[in-house]
Amino acid sequence: MIKKYLEKIYLFLIFILLYAPILTLIVLSFNNSKTRAKWGGFTLKWYSSLFQNEQIMNALYTTLIISLLAAVIATVIGTAAAIAIHGMKQKWRTLYSGLTNIPMMNAEIVMGVSLMLLFIAFHVTLGFGTILIAHITFNIPYVILSVAPKLRQTSRRTYEAALDLGASPLYAFFKVTFPDILPGVLSGFMLAFTMSLDDFVITHFTKGPGVDTLSTKIYSEVRKGIKPEMYALSTLLFVTVLVLLILVNVSPKKDAETAAARKHVRRRSRAGRILIKRVIPVAICLVFVGGGIYYASKGQMLTKEKLIVYNWGEYMDPDVITLFEEETGIDVVYEEFETNEIMYPKISSGAIAYDLVCPSDYMIQRMRENDLLAEINFDNIPNIKNIGKDYLERSKEFDPENKYSVPYCWGTVGILYNKTMVDEPIDSWSVLWDEKYKDNILMQDSVRDAFGVPLKYLGYSLNSTDLDELNEAKDLLTRQKPLVQAYVIDQVRDKMIGNEAAIGVIYSGEAIYTQQENPNLEYVIPKEGSNLWIDSWVIPKNAEHKENAEQFINFLCRPDIALMNFEYITYSTPNTAARELIEAESIRNSKIAFPDLSTVPNLETFQYLGTKNDEVYNELWNKVKSK
Amino acid sequence: MKNKRYLAGPYLFWSISFVVIPLLVVFYYAMTNDEGSITFANLAQITTQENLKALGMSLLLSFVSTAICLLLAYPLAMILSSKNVNQSSFIVLIFILPMWMNFLLRTMAWQTLLEKNGVINSILSFVHLPALEIINTPGAIILGMVYNFLPFMVLPIYNVLIKIDRDVINAARDLGASSSYTFLKIILPLSIPGIISGITMVFVPALTTFVISDLLGGGKILLIGNVIEQSFKQNSNWHVGSGLSMVLMVFIIASMALVAKYDKEGEGSSF
Repeated sequence: MIKKYLEKIYLFLIFILLYAPILTLIVLSFNNSKTRAKWGGFTLKWYSSLFQNEQIMNALYTTLIISLLAAVIATVIGTAAAIAIHGMKQKWRTLYSGLTNIPMMNAEIVMGVSLMLLFIAFHVTLGFGTILIAHITFNIPYVILSVAPKLRQTSRRTYEAALDLGASPLYAFFKVTFPDILPGVLSGFMLAFTMSLDDFVITHFTKGPGVDTLSTKIYSEVRKGIKPEMYALSTLLFVTVLVLLILVNVSPKKDAETAAARKHVRRRSRAGRILIKRVIPVAICLVFVGGGIYYASKGQMLTKEKLIVYNWGEYMDPDVITLFEEETGIDVVYEEFETNEIMYPKISSGAIAYDLVCPSDYMIQRMRENDLLAEINFDNIPNIKNIGKDYLERSKEFDPENKYSVPYCWGTVGILYNKTMVDEPIDSWSVLWDEKYKDNILMQDSVRDAFGVPLKYLGYSLNSTDLDELNEAKDLLTRQKPLVQAYVIDQVRDKMIGNEAAIGVIYSGEAIYTQQENPNLEYVIPKEGSNLWIDSWVIPKNAEHKENAEQFINFLCRPDIALMNFEYITYSTPNTAARELIEAESIRNSKIAFPDLSTVPNLETFQYLGTKNDEVYNELWNKVKSK
Repeated sequence: MKNKRYLAGPYLFWSISFVVIPLLVVFYYAMTNDEGSITFANLAQITTQENLKALGMSLLLSFVSTAICLLLAYPLAMILSSKNVNQSSFIVLIFILPMWMNFLLRTMAWQTLLEKNGVINSILSFVHLPALEIINTPGAIILGMVYNFLPFMVLPIYNVLIKIDRDVINAARDLGASSSYTFLKIILPLSIPGIISGITMVFVPALTTFVISDLLGGGKILLIGNVIEQSFKQNSNWHVGSGLSMVLMVFIIASMALVAKYDKEGEGSSF
């Protein structure tokens, strides 16, 4: 009796372990607050805004279509292979089972990398097709492994009897063998479909621009905070599947007494099961394919004119894109990146022809020096007049003649602190080394930003290339590591709102948003000085739609549009005409959003230091991280 | 009947094109440098202090999480195999259904659960228990690994256990063996193929993950998977990335050999 209870408790605990995160996500999908760090009351709004979010819906349909196609193709190839392998001699069978085991056993990362290198070596453009091929590849073994055991259970004799009775091999196969292995085929299909749906790593390596599955979309949002619509979508998917499974599993009950009755019931229930298992998947497929065609056609109508934009995550109001598409008929393909360092190789490899990119100052300099940028034709951008002269002047540090870039956002790097957790007034970087705040410090996770802090603290230049100075900075960072709670990029926002840490290094643009959500937060630019950065639009040399890109830049410089973006992303805008339009005076004259540059000392812009120095920085940073 | 063999044709073609050749391409990149001449420098990258540390950390965390998975999964598989549960509904519950919530989101959700002011700590402080401070530590990564890979351990063991002939166990009991002795002498040895298969199914993905450490480690813990991912996606140093992947292949091949030795009939396969 006690054993029974222990067993029950054990099962219950495991169940909690497996389903606690799922429950969390379901709860978050009803959270009124945009950040996951705060419960803002119950809402259903994410469920309605989900269907208006074209990016998420596109990712959903890409995911479903890829999973469906990959599962169907893998099921056909895999079932055929399983049948062939079943009829082979032992030696061959071992060989094939080895072949099947490679993708099963191989690490996902190695498989993803290997396929990516293959596609690039053979000049296959990364995109929908390459993801599909990759998914079929890892799906086939699941089908084979599901079908093979069923084949072992079938009797050769019935098949041979059918042949003896004059059936053609094909007819005999479909009438005799196939019904027996059908459950294996179906479960192989379902397994393959689910595996495809949930895959991230392999898709991450084999995807191209403009194609996003749910997984890759989520990954690009991770650092910025997941959009709540994503939780809503996952909840819907989960609940749909749960209901379907309950339907499938509950309907055929079999508990007959006599053998005859059992036989009878079983036959009927099998018919019922096949009906449900066939009719429902077919219905789902129809919905998927219909939805896919609907969304695809919606996109197709506008594809005459295209524009491929590559921007930071969460760095533009989606409504701005929709407005632009409506006004011009140009179809915008929108891709996001997390750091300049992730963006750069994609541009320099030339594998993907982006039309418009939004890098930071030093990266623009690097791209310009490596001849990756096209000169912008300012005749197409009359709205440049709205951009403040100061910012164009500052831009000359990385674009000396203002020929290649148009400023989009700017800001400073500083310390965000929680007044309830920090008593003293903070005005220096030195707090980041204060033992008092052990495990309460959030540090930036990108090389230049991380090194900028100790370099400025020590009174050196942000752009130092002096090895002694850099080593000094590295030692400081190493000493700081035990005090750091986490190295993050944009998550600093959610964590500070949720009172997870006392002090965080953050971009000024995020500070405005976090203060709105949590009034206990205060932003300061340390007295030793800091980084002033500008993110600007540039057009890569290999852009295929340069005029569309210029039209889009011009659109973004329109005061009303710049204002929309400012209100959405809360990063300071260089658009002086837009600043005049800001209604709230506290924000229009905010010291955080629009500091008077002349009163803040030692603000420096990052510069590109060359490949050699980049390597030095990376190596030192790796040393810090692996300590 | 001969013509049946051709049915394997498409599969053979597919496997060679998209499994075997890609691995050869990785091998090529691993053994060459930018100029295309042959070098061992990329493989030697594993011996730098940082990379060795990352590899060591990966090995340690994957060993620990594999062990925990085994300890959790074996009793679970035993309980489930003794009950008369419908096998397919069990697989669905433990394995398929959670996958419809994206794996990244599920792992992210652990952040919300584990954080200092997260769900678990709120509950703990409510009942006046000390707070659990494992977010951004190796502990959180281990938890993430166990959470994600536990089903891969449960299924092979369960599949082996339900195949054990009840008569063998009954015979042992009839001959006077105690239940613990029966377990040690009959059930455990017969379930070895499942255990081995489960170990490799957990160990390999745990060793090579970069997502879990990314999401739950707070960027403070670098695993070998992170190093490889960065060398492809950030530093675009494909040769070094390939070299390190080849080093990982050594562990993967060792796992495959282990399975081939103990699980000849494929009894311990998960599905």
